[in-house]
Amino acid sequence: MAFRIGIDIGGTFTDFTVVDDNGAVTLWKEDSTPEHPVQAIERGLAAVADSLNTGLAEFLQGVDLFVHGSTIATNAVIQRSGPRIGLLCTEGFRDIIHLRDGFKPERFNIHLRHPVEFVDRYLRLGVRERIDHEGAVTETLSEDDVRKAAGHFRDEDVAAVAIAFLWSIVNPDHERRAAEILAEELPGTKVILSSEVLPEIREWERTSASVLSAYILPGIDAYLRKLEALLEDAGFSRAPLIMQINGGCASVEEILRRPVFALASGPAAAPAAALHYARNIDATNMISVDMGGTSFDVCLIRDGRAGMSRTIQIEQQPIGVAGVEVHSVGAGGGSIAWIDSGGALRVGPRSAGAKPGPACYGLGGSEATVTDANVVLGYLEPEAFLGGRRALRRDLAERAVMEHVAEPLGVDLARAAAGIIEVVDAGMVDAIRAVSIERGIDPRGFMLVAGGGAGGLHAARLARKLGMKQLLVPQEAGTYCAFGMTVTDVRHDHSEPLHTLTSTAEPAAINALFDRLERQARQRLIDDGFSPEQITIERSVDARYPNQVHELTLAIESPPPYGHNELRAIEHSFHREHEQRFTYALTELPIECLHWRITAIGRMPIAAHDPRPLESDVDGQPASGRVGERDACVAGEGQISFAIHRAGELGPNAVIDGPAILQAPTTTVLLMRGDRLHVQADRSYLIDIGAN
Amino acid sequence: MSVESDPITFSVILNRLNAIANEMTLTLEQSAWTPILALCRDFSCAIYDDRLRQIAMYDALPIHTTSLKIVLKEIARTFEGRVNEGDVFMCNDPYRGNTHVGDVVTALPVFVDGELRFWSVTKGHQLDIGAYLPSSVVASARNVWQEGLTIPPLKIHDRGEPRDDVIDLYLSNVRYRELLRGDLMAQLGSIEKGRERLVSLCDEYGTEVVMAYANAIIDYADRRMSEQLQQIPDGEYRGTCWIDSDGIDGLNIPIEATVTVAGDQVIVDYTGSGPQGEGSLNGSYATSQAAGAVPFLNYIDPDIPHNEGCIQHIEVIAPVGTVCNAAYPASTSSATIVPADAMQDAVNKAMAHAAPELVIAGSARCANVPQFTGSHAATGEAWGVMLFNGTGAQGASKNTDGWPLYESSAAAGGLKAQSLEQLELLYPIKIECMEIETDSMGAGESIGGAGVRLSLASKSGEMECITFGDGCSNPPHGTVGGRPGIGGGQYVEQRDNGKRRYVSASGHVRIAPNEFYVGVSTGGGGYGNPLERDAELVRRDVRDELISRETAKDIFGVVVTTDFNPKLDVAATSEQRSKLAQCKVNLVHPTAPAADAEGEWVRAQLREGDVFLNNPVS
Repeated sequence: MAFRIGIDIGGTFTDFTVVDDNGAVTLWKEDSTPEHPVQAIERGLAAVADSLNTGLAEFLQGVDLFVHGSTIATNAVIQRSGPRIGLLCTEGFRDIIHLRDGFKPERFNIHLRHPVEFVDRYLRLGVRERIDHEGAVTETLSEDDVRKAAGHFRDEDVAAVAIAFLWSIVNPDHERRAAEILAEELPGTKVILSSEVLPEIREWERTSASVLSAYILPGIDAYLRKLEALLEDAGFSRAPLIMQINGGCASVEEILRRPVFALASGPAAAPAAALHYARNIDATNMISVDMGGTSFDVCLIRDGRAGMSRTIQIEQQPIGVAGVEVHSVGAGGGSIAWIDSGGALRVGPRSAGAKPGPACYGLGGSEATVTDANVVLGYLEPEAFLGGRRALRRDLAERAVMEHVAEPLGVDLARAAAGIIEVVDAGMVDAIRAVSIERGIDPRGFMLVAGGGAGGLHAARLARKLGMKQLLVPQEAGTYCAFGMTVTDVRHDHSEPLHTLTSTAEPAAINALFDRLERQARQRLIDDGFSPEQITIERSVDARYPNQVHELTLAIESPPPYGHNELRAIEHSFHREHEQRFTYALTELPIECLHWRITAIGRMPIAAHDPRPLESDVDGQPASGRVGERDACVAGEGQISFAIHRAGELGPNAVIDGPAILQAPTTTVLLMRGDRLHVQADRSYLIDIGAN
Repeated sequence: MSVESDPITFSVILNRLNAIANEMTLTLEQSAWTPILALCRDFSCAIYDDRLRQIAMYDALPIHTTSLKIVLKEIARTFEGRVNEGDVFMCNDPYRGNTHVGDVVTALPVFVDGELRFWSVTKGHQLDIGAYLPSSVVASARNVWQEGLTIPPLKIHDRGEPRDDVIDLYLSNVRYRELLRGDLMAQLGSIEKGRERLVSLCDEYGTEVVMAYANAIIDYADRRMSEQLQQIPDGEYRGTCWIDSDGIDGLNIPIEATVTVAGDQVIVDYTGSGPQGEGSLNGSYATSQAAGAVPFLNYIDPDIPHNEGCIQHIEVIAPVGTVCNAAYPASTSSATIVPADAMQDAVNKAMAHAAPELVIAGSARCANVPQFTGSHAATGEAWGVMLFNGTGAQGASKNTDGWPLYESSAAAGGLKAQSLEQLELLYPIKIECMEIETDSMGAGESIGGAGVRLSLASKSGEMECITFGDGCSNPPHGTVGGRPGIGGGQYVEQRDNGKRRYVSASGHVRIAPNEFYVGVSTGGGGYGNPLERDAELVRRDVRDELISRETAKDIFGVVVTTDFNPKLDVAATSEQRSKLAQCKVNLVHPTAPAADAEGEWVRAQLREGDVFLNNPVS
């Protein structure tokens, strides 16, 4: 038996998802061990092997794909628990990361604090050197300055140094020479070069990506080496892969070369999960949502590709590299409902989290949350929550909604609870609109894929509100992103600047650039163990009208070599995209190009779907899993009878018509009148949304 | 169904209207062509109802928050009875309710089922408006004919048809025709987005329902604003500021604010301010209305919507013929910053007496935002760029140090500077330095944001530099015991002999190929007594060279060692602080205008052979 395994370390739990080559899924949750994170992995692997009735070594020998997502890098940044680091920069420019892009958000909030950098100013040391925008050296590197800076770094005991010089992207010689000197002066200290981490124009983003990389590098290096040692000792002979923010994974070596890719990588696994489920139903346009306890994360997937963003920030610091664009709003099961000073009902962004959690958990929470509202309305069965592992207190939910919402607003309990749901739904609808309608994309042709423990309760209503006709809820909704890690591909993103107009561009220069990027990227994937036929290359370009300030990243569909016809095609696709997003295009103008990008993907074999028959087929008829009915409250209609179904007793191809509630182990799916659910062969739930 | 009884739909529609205004904002920002809109974000988007009441304005430029409705009312009045579906209106006339000539308003009446229901409106500051110098803000302009093209309320689309002749007239009168055409398209795209979204909102909820909730949203802001203003003690409070110059030769023009707080109503009266100046550093009616109100928008919960219900609580009086509200045909080209920023500061100085926990210290007033122009040596093609990379900083407020690169109270930091590499790629300039200036900020328990030293040179022969601004000789004030920022300045230096020409905040100079430009912007004013600042923070400020050891000792009373990473000398600090505690502390500082045109900072910098030029014209 062969396995693929996804391990996602979170603050509370370390989640294990194991898929065998028949597609059967095993889930395991181990308590995280924040002091020594590999301990939880060691224990969890043993437990998983145990539950599969095999020894650890034997199990690991059967694992042909090991993908690990870890919040260790992200937490080091969020908690500022990383080491003291240094920055070497061009003299006269040590405040690039302090001055940022000059933007202060919230213009009317005069009490907003300025973001704190990850390297203190006294350790941001300028050295004399200068390169111009064409790569010519206009001032040679002062090696004395570098050695002097190294002395300060040594005295202050820095654990890593980022080197980020102006225009190192067109001529990295000075950065490389400075790194050599640091290696002599500070043996053992880790050094990050901006020209390697993010070879793109814009010094703030590049410096920030380098500083964040240096900041997390010592921690993840030690951790990943320990992990590798553990796995090797335990009998795993392959190399583990690490989840990245770009939605794919990469080898440990690759991550240590460009650590910033490991940041905020958890939610980036969502599109892989959505695409996996969608493969069977030929969907390529999807909106993936993940609703957990505190946040609602939305990703748009168009033509089988997740939307990417190059403006992602973590702790208000830009990461610079392109990451899966996750639009996140503070709406989850734990989001707290409150009345503002003008008497308006608000929900979130404050959340009751896991502790104390919603009032109905009975763990001391007294405020009304979204989960409490769902209990009051009758959508969540108190006994069946989390597969029966947690009983919910309906009385506490009612009291919270009554005291904090119904009484202040002067409405009855049901209206208050329905109001909480309506307001939180509206926030989620707005979040979906933000990634679709507001980008000129009509969501009505898209399928909604809803993950997260709370997703199934809300998704059908969201889809209806947006005019979306189909909804997919995976059975693994509660461990959506961990599952995504088991079905990702290896992905490397590379880029080079080449500033040119489409009207005057030299196709030969573009072709040479792509050839260079592609050869390097292919070699990396071959080194990772991929065969040439498993490798896919995607190309894109950052483009704008001449002298326009902001760019759009455009996919280039045809492979090189490029000639004038392909440049015309780029122009056309830019005009089209610009018009779609901003209502107008100026088609008589050429296009200005800035960076040319490739994404090299090493395709993993497609994971099988579990073909085992479901249990309760009766006489060839799929079992409906119906176990009874219950009254629940629907806004504007009052108490309605909902059929109650249990996932464990559902047959394949079973069909459920709303109004109904399907209780699955890690989520509850709420179907309204007119909705029809079809159980899929892979045990996910495909729902046709009824008309209004 | 009564509106008041349904707070849930209320929240949904409130958020949706904000989302629409936000989407209009993003559309304009992302698709605009010139940095002044795309990066400086010198524009605002808003939605009005059929009674021209402001319903939603989101992340807008403060100076537009309470003034945009004035020009919209003038447009609607001018075309009363002739507002048709498919029309788009334009106006930039400061004597017809606009802020200043550089701001171009585009307004689209939104019809739903054939009936006028809303207005979708943007106001954007253009890179050029056809003034006698290549800038849309010309300090030395002496009247409306020198400051640029006046656009009275007119239609640029008539029943859905673009009036190409009118658009051509506009574009024929401005420089950078193609860029400005792109910016106009971006503004039109933004108001069209607003229209589409408002129509679909009405489709979804019903027009009457949406209109009813719009009403409720105004009442809601009214309630919240009223509640907050009632917490401020009633009384009459006074504050005085000075603007450096009138743009020609007048100096230290006083701005007098008398603020009367009575219950939930505020009157800001600028009676007693100096007469209007010869140049363009004069307020317009619209900027006077906003400048008096904006400080109060900073005092309230930022969550309160800036709609009619909120802004109607503040009344502003600015007599015609004063520097705050000039009489036709005076130029008001600089009005949104000078004197508007000082008018805000005067209110903050006044309110320091009433509500010291709410006020903010003085901030930079747009000095050090140089506009450079020249021609590419190879092609002869003209280039021009405005730099936001070295602007002055924000003042401190209670428990909050100021931000750098705030630019002005008018912009309130909501702008983006272009990357240095991007600038060097697009323009023939070399940036030689961009770093914090030590000791540039006002000291205090909270310190002002840091000023920046920005220096650069042309790589392609001579270039011109045009600046306008204020607050150099009369620097950003410290408040509640805090100290002022340095004021800062700018100069052009000759490489061979080191001789420098210092230039006042506003000016126009030529920079020869063997010269380079240096701007040193002011830090913000400080808040609270510097002796109360946490000594560990002061130690770090010294370590990080934000402040010098001398300043730490003499002003903050903090003594540290001379190490690379200095240590705090606890005993010496305690002694020094008790010694300094004997000195008297002013509530606001300064309380008098600058002694001369140079101001303190420039005077201290001048070396032998250097000169100072006040409002030079090239």
